[in-house]
Order: sequence, then structure tokens, then C-alpha cells
Amino acid sequence: MEMVQIEKVSKDSVNKAKKKLSPFIIHNLSRLGIIITLLAVWELAAFLKWINPFLLGSPSGIWDETVRLIQSGQLYTDMFATVYGTILGFVIGSLLGSAIGLLLWYSKTLATIIDPFVVALNGLPKIALAPMIIIWFGSGMFSKIILASIATFIVALLSAYQGTHQIDSNLVNLMKSLGSSKGQIFKKVVIPSSLPWIISAFRLNIGFALIAVIGGEFISSDKGLGRMIFVAGNLFNLNVVWVGVLSLMAVAIILYVIVSKMENRLIPWEDSKRQKEN
Amino acid sequence: MMLNSAQAVSDVTKEVGNAIELQGIKKHFYDKDENIIQVIKDITLEIKNKEFISIVGPSGCGKSTMFNIIAGLMQPTEGKVKVLGEDIVSSTGHVGYMMQKDLLFPWRTIIENVSLGLEVKGMTKKEREDIALDYLAKYGLADFAHAYPSTLSGGMRQRVALIRTLAMDPEIILLDEPFSALDYQTRLVLEEEILGILRDFGKTAVLITHDIGEAIAMSDRIAVMTQRPTCVKKIYDVGLAVELGSGMKARADHRYNDFFENIWADLDIQIGRDS
Ligand SMILES: Nc1ncnc2c1ncn2[C@@H]1O[C@H](COP(=O)(O)OP(=O)(O)OP(=O)(O)O)[C@@H](O)[C@H]1O
Ligand SMILES: [Mg+2]
Repeated sequence: MEMVQIEKVSKDSVNKAKKKLSPFIIHNLSRLGIIITLLAVWELAAFLKWINPFLLGSPSGIWDETVRLIQSGQLYTDMFATVYGTILGFVIGSLLGSAIGLLLWYSKTLATIIDPFVVALNGLPKIALAPMIIIWFGSGMFSKIILASIATFIVALLSAYQGTHQIDSNLVNLMKSLGSSKGQIFKKVVIPSSLPWIISAFRLNIGFALIAVIGGEFISSDKGLGRMIFVAGNLFNLNVVWVGVLSLMAVAIILYVIVSKMENRLIPWEDSKRQKEN
Repeated sequence: MMLNSAQAVSDVTKEVGNAIELQGIKKHFYDKDENIIQVIKDITLEIKNKEFISIVGPSGCGKSTMFNIIAGLMQPTEGKVKVLGEDIVSSTGHVGYMMQKDLLFPWRTIIENVSLGLEVKGMTKKEREDIALDYLAKYGLADFAHAYPSTLSGGMRQRVALIRTLAMDPEIILLDEPFSALDYQTRLVLEEEILGILRDFGKTAVLITHDIGEAIAMSDRIAVMTQRPTCVKKIYDVGLAVELGSGMKARADHRYNDFFENIWADLDIQIGRDS
């Protein structure tokens, strides 16, 4: 049995090495090629005045602004503010929402009672609350965290609650036949079996949190990438707008990757299922 | 502690003599249109302490339903259930129930699945993993202790579910087609294993099976059920495995074929009526 396993492992890694290396290089080289070509055409067009660099910006202009904003420390300050507000709001909203969604499993009555409220809140674009939240909590970081928490809370709650409805009733019966209490069933069946739903809400929520924070920063704030983009836009400083947008893109990608990595950590059994199917 | 409480329970059962008593059990369900589906017409059955009894009957007649009632997961519409001399209200953990589906928890590794019942009982991690590993090693699954169920074959999963039931060390074991996903050889080996365990530890076992040969080879008694709504049609006193010492010898005995023909005839009539 062991022999077979060892053979399988080494075969897999050989396959991986063979398969991964060449397409990996080809794909990335092609991507790099596309980006370089695009930037070169853009720069040339701006230089020859085919396009108006004042309205579109130019790669060299963006580069100059990036260097300036990094040296002055402003890019770091703004990026940190946005990331900090997003992560904190995401964590608070998602965890609180998931916990309450799960706990609703205990009381069907309570769940039924609050159901229409949840649905109503879910339909509301959360950014509509931004002016109010900013009036109540000021234009600093705190109001952005609150906004992001609200934006993620309901999605997390609904998702977790839905998860508790997908539980295999046979598993609950099995737990009962072992003589377990409701608390044990909650801990050993309800939570783990809802986890894939909760995690899938996390992936949506990281995006929602970012939208909420940026939206809040647009409306009123003293720092943040949203503010940077908004202010530069009003001044028609397109190169700075580009720096803001590209930084935001980088932030979004990094946060998304982190949450996806978390997924593999938190639900490893789904991973081994996928591996078997492949 | 554990031993003492087990001792206490078996003292009680010795007095009573019956591990399970079903008196006038009826059960019906309602379908989507609120129509009554009569499943169990009337079951009255006494299962003696330390007995091995098999239940055979046509598909869909209500065998699993009967197990759910004995395990305390379902209330009968009418009738009384006594387990170890006490009225059953809800599940107690004295009855180990291996369900028809190999219900493993996908998020638990094999060893965590096997030790589930022990965990519910409140055993420490060390204690329960020692026990689980012993069982896994014995049934050739030690290499898979830390794998997830989705990576195992159907037969292996069924063995894990069986081990989980045994590891609980329950007084009464309900087995709902425990061997259905196993190949024939493994089946024969496991039949002997189970018989050995039951004999050594003096357990009561109820086995649902579609395999008449398996029922004859293992049982003290066999209850043949009718079509739905079901009741006990006939009870055969077999006892070949105990008399001859093994299921294999029981299969080789001349009485084996007689039992087979009789039980087959009982079932055959019903299948004929079904179509
Ligand atoms: N919860 C339920 N609600 C409605 N009908 C049910 C329910 N549980 C079982 N039934 C019905 O009761 C009948 C008997 O089911 P049961 O699972 O007990 O049969 P079985 O004898 O175990 O069959 P098999 O040999 O195929 O496992 C079936 O017709 C089934 O559809
Ligand atoms: Mg069944």
C-alpha cells in the first residue's frame, strides 16, 4: 500500500513539473508582452498628441506621480487607511453576521420573525447609508469601518443561515443516536457543514467591504485611496487618478487572494474532494 | 467508570431478559398531499439479550423505519418500545446504530469520524484516538487515519462507519445493511469478525440484510417481514453460527439450504405480489 502511494506522489510531482513549467512561462510572457505593448502605444500616442494626455494621462506621467506620492508618503498613508478600514469592517461584519446566522439555527421562531427585516436590509444598497453614517460617526476611519461592517454583515448572516438549512438531516440523526446534546450537534454538525457557505460569503464580502470604504471616502474623508481618486478627479489630475485606481486594483487582488487562501485552510476537506475529482 | 456503568446496565438486562421489546408498533407518514402512508402495520417482537437477530424483508417495507424507532429517532404512531427494560423517549447512546448510508462527516478525517461517538461521550482526545487507532489498525485502515472520507472507496467508508459503531462499545448494535458496499471476500471476513466481537463482548445485535445467506450464516433468529404495511410474517430459529462456531461452517451445513429455500419462498411470494 505504501509503495503504491509513494509511486503516485512521485508521478504527480513529475507531471506537475512537466505540465506547469512551459505553459506557465508562455502565459506570463504573453501577458507581459500585452501590457508592455499597451503602455508603449499609449505613451507614444500621448507624446505625439494623438490623444489628449490631460484627459487620459500617460504612462510616464503616472510613473512620475507614483514616485512622487511614494516619496511624500501619501500613497502609503492613503493605501493603509483604505486597507485598514476594509479589513476591519470585513472582519467585524462577516464574523458577527456569520455568528448570528448560525445561531438562528437554534430558534426557528426567531428566524421566521426577523426574516422580512433581513430581506429588506439585504435589498438596500448599503452605500445609501453612507451620508447618515458619516454624519453620525464623523468623516474619519471609524465611519468607514462601520459602513464596511454593515455592507458585509447581512450577506454573511444570510449565507450562514442558508448554510444551516442545507445540513444533511441524517448527520443530525446520527448525532442524536449517539446521545448528543443540541449544543454538541451545533458545534460538530451545524458549524462545519455551514462553513463552505460562510466562506463563499467571505469572498463576496471582501469586495463589498472595499466598495463601502471607497464610497464612504468619496463622500467625506481625510485620507484613503477613495479620497485620493476623488480629489484628483476634481482637479483633473488624471495621472494621480490612475495611481489611485491601479493601487486599488492591487489592494483588491491581494485581499481576494488572502481570502481564497483562507478558504483552503478553513475547509481542507473540500480541497481533498476537488483533488480526487481532478 | 465506563466498565461499572456497562456492568450496571447488563445487570438490568439480565433481570429483564429482553434487550428490545416492541409491542404493537404502528407507524404511518403523510405524503405531500397529506395522504396517509401506512408503513408499519403492527410489529410485536421481543429481542432477547445477547441475541443475534436478522430482519429480512422486501425493499421499502419499513425495516429502516423500525430501526429509527428503536434508536429513538422517531416516535411510533402507536405502540410501545422498551430498550434495556426502559421506555425509550429519545436516544441514549446505549444503542449503536449503523445507518444504511455510510454517513461519514466529510469535514472529519477517518480517525476523527471513528472517534465521534467517544467524543460525544466526553472522552479525552488521547483516549479516543488510542481506541480509534486500535480499531483502524485491526481493520487495515490505519494508513488512512488522517485522510478525508471523500478519498476513500465505498467499501472502505462502510468499514469506517462500522468501526465507528463498534468503537462506541454499545450494548445493542443495529446494523442496517452494513456490508452492502463490500466485495464478497471482505464481507465474509467481516461477518466472522462481527460474530467474534459480539460473542466476546456479549452484545445484542439486530441486522437488516437483503442477503438471505448472510442472515442464515450469522443469526440466532431471522424475522421475515411482509410487504408494506409491514408486520412480522415468520420467525425462524437458526442458531447455526453459535452451534457450529462460525459463519463459514454455518454456510457449509446441510440445514443452510433448507432455511434458504424456506425464507426465499416467503419473500418470493411477496415479490410476485408486488409486480
Ligand atoms: N420520513 C418519512 N416520511 C415519509 N415517508 C417515509 C419516511 N421515512 C420512510 N418513509 C417511507 O416508508 C417506507 C419504508 O421506508 P424504509 O426506509 O423503512 O424501508 P426499508 O425497508 O428500509 O427499505 P430498503 O430495504 O430499501 O432500505 C418507504 O415507502 C418510504 O418512502
Ligand atoms: Mg432501509
